[in-house]
Amino acid sequence: MIENVIEISVDQLLIEVQNAMYDEYRFVTCTCVDTADGKLDIYYHFDKKLVLKNLKISVKKGDEVPSVSKIYFSALLVENEMKELFGLNVTNILIDYGGHMLLSDDELTSPMLKQQIVIVQKGEE
Amino acid sequence: MSKTVIPFGPQHPVLPEPIHLKLVMQDEKVLEAIPAIGYVHRGLEKLTETKEYTENVFIVERICGICSFMHAQAYCQGLESLMGVQIPDRAKYLRVIWGELHRIHSHLLWLGLLADSFGFESLFMQLWRNREKVMDIMEETAGSRIIISTNQVGGTRRDISKELLIKITIIVDEIKEDMRQVEKVFLKDYTVKHRLVGIGVLTSEKAYSLGAVGPMARASGIKMDLRMTGYAAYGELDFEPVVEKDGDCYARTSVRLKEVYQSVALIKQAIAKMPAGEISVPVKGNPTGEIISRVEQPRGEVLYYMKGNGTKKLDRLRIRTPTFANIPTLLQMLPGSQLADVPVLILTIDPCISCTER
Amino acid sequence: MFDMIGNVFKNLTSKPATRKYPFEKRPSYKSTRGRVGGVGIDDCIFCGICSKRCPSDAINVNKLEKSWEIDPFKCVVCGVCAEVCPKKCIYMEEEYTASAYNKGKLKYTQQPKPDVKVSQEVVQK
Repeated sequence: MIENVIEISVDQLLIEVQNAMYDEYRFVTCTCVDTADGKLDIYYHFDKKLVLKNLKISVKKGDEVPSVSKIYFSALLVENEMKELFGLNVTNILIDYGGHMLLSDDELTSPMLKQQIVIVQKGEE
Repeated sequence: MSKTVIPFGPQHPVLPEPIHLKLVMQDEKVLEAIPAIGYVHRGLEKLTETKEYTENVFIVERICGICSFMHAQAYCQGLESLMGVQIPDRAKYLRVIWGELHRIHSHLLWLGLLADSFGFESLFMQLWRNREKVMDIMEETAGSRIIISTNQVGGTRRDISKELLIKITIIVDEIKEDMRQVEKVFLKDYTVKHRLVGIGVLTSEKAYSLGAVGPMARASGIKMDLRMTGYAAYGELDFEPVVEKDGDCYARTSVRLKEVYQSVALIKQAIAKMPAGEISVPVKGNPTGEIISRVEQPRGEVLYYMKGNGTKKLDRLRIRTPTFANIPTLLQMLPGSQLADVPVLILTIDPCISCTER
Repeated sequence: MFDMIGNVFKNLTSKPATRKYPFEKRPSYKSTRGRVGGVGIDDCIFCGICSKRCPSDAINVNKLEKSWEIDPFKCVVCGVCAEVCPKKCIYMEEEYTASAYNKGKLKYTQQPKPDVKVSQEVVQK
């Protein structure tokens, strides 16, 4: 029920975002949703003259997603947040906090996932 | 020349909420700024997954203490359009009145903090004395001073009687008279202008490509105000967004000051046009599907994404607050400025860090 | 340059804008929500609606024991319990919960009513 949703694959992501920048769209934010069948849906929201346009990609947990912070500088904060709260593997962010921007240094799980992933460092699983 | 790193710590007299910046300096000039946030992260998005959708209004209101009414309004508007509920007209006008009162209170708070940041304490006290009048109105109409809990899915919980509406008109006119004198000090005083003009210039293209929202964008010449889309009763009221061209701290102060006058005019228009009728409708059923709702907060545009799956609890609630979009502009404005201007620059983005980190 | 001089003179000659709290308290308005004052326990039917609708789970209703309990330090003073009670026996008060050394709870128990049948037999005899 959201208007203007375009579903694309991970390889087309950088090209589509570059096209949005040439068309003078303003970057709003990204949303990450944990769906019931083990996949993560990521929406990228853009805005021009108060009308929204949304791009949607769907990845499995652990897949690599390229960062758009070289095209839009303001995306780096939200990509860091998705990386540490959902465990999404985003590569090449301009300023990378390594998973500790919002969470403290001794927190090793990804809190927003419906089932927690515990990182191997703790010696479990 | 060697470089030093100065921490602009989480505790600072000028900041309303904690944020940490590492400033890499050479003599008195800032070369780089590296932010560190995370002092107020409370995990509220996860908490909303454990409560029913009617109880989530109370959680969402408490994300921020300064813009709390608009958070609840965005949540209720999104759910109402997802479930296909039409709220009565009187509820829309009541939401406009409380929303504009919140906008006045937020801008008066910010103007007071700005005056305090360059040492002008008596102006700070003058502005906060006016802010007390606004909070007294909110206590009389809704029950508490800041977190007023009058929104519910389907309308509002309380009504405002005719005598109170007339009293609001009188008090709001008094605030407008007081602001005339304050405006002369902010916009024409020689020492205040010296601290504000030409500091932290952001051109219009840069502001747009960095994603600035709210008064930051409007002070750089971008005409962007979400109230023009006409949610609540704004489609029937008559106003123009306040836009300035220069893009420095002086322009941002001027935009926020003129928005106080605009809010006063909007409140008087809404009180004059208010229809009689019900204040809420009963809501049955559970939400299914996804929706995005956006509202203009005092600091900019807030975006709510909601996903329901047919049960009483929501599947996902995602909130993007305006300060989250304005922090990258701070990282581009700080390099090249003097150390004594850093507190004023950080205050001009209107930082509301508890909104940013939820 | 001398715009604030008028304001300075007005402040010097008028009475102060602050109030000498705690010697002078401000009267609060009629509909101020300070805290949940309590319940008229004799009218309560122990339906439990207030406990289900409380957003912070501060109310506990026990039908077998006929008791109603609230934790005032968890309560967020929203007023939903007072609105949905079918007998309208929960009321809000203007004074706020003061700080305390121990976080105690407020408990109300309904006393058993005297037996009406006995007195009727006495009258008939």
